[in-house]
Amino acid sequence: MAAANEHITADAIEATEFMDLSRKYRVTGVPKTIVNETIEILGGLPEKMFVRQALGLPEEASS
Amino acid sequence: MGLLSPQDEATLKQHLSGLVHPVQLVLFTQTFGGSDSGDVAKKILLEIASLNEKITVVNKNFVLDSDDKAKYNVTMAPAIVVLSDGVDTRMRMYGAPTGYEFVGLVEAIIVAGTGTIDLDPETMTWIQAVDTPTHIQVFSTPT
Repeated sequence: MAAANEHITADAIEATEFMDLSRKYRVTGVPKTIVNETIEILGGLPEKMFVRQALGLPEEASS
Repeated sequence: MGLLSPQDEATLKQHLSGLVHPVQLVLFTQTFGGSDSGDVAKKILLEIASLNEKITVVNKNFVLDSDDKAKYNVTMAPAIVVLSDGVDTRMRMYGAPTGYEFVGLVEAIIVAGTGTIDLDPETMTWIQAVDTPTHIQVFSTPT
């Protein structure tokens, strides 16, 4: 996503190495995704579902 | 002895064979007060770079190279910033790239080195419509 749009930055973080950050975002399972400090996605999702949730798009946007 | 088995190296070399652009992996590590994962990250990156001449590793000191740290907005170490022909791809990896992180790193290198993003066309239109700063953080573990 980051490579496709200059407004997007993507960090892959090793949760056990950065425990303070993991605690901050209450990472109790992985993968866990945080977008702009507000959107939380727990677990792996199919591509379209993940992108839709990450960008805060409504469900009907995909239909 | 390397971290990758000869069989893994051969498979990885094949995956990286399609690179057309130079890829720079900028590695920020902390000599004092840092964890051992910086050394692990360095070893992994050098092994990957040895498999394709288009890949180079650029070592930076997290404490001393403050200009580069600010330039790439790196906030923790170890950190890997992936550049495509010197241009920031905005993809970062924090921690040693082992386990799932290793797969993510290889995919990031392929995107940076081929310019090809393997996503559904409809998904791409959603992503390309983003016009405000969007910071995605994905937490994972080595296993």
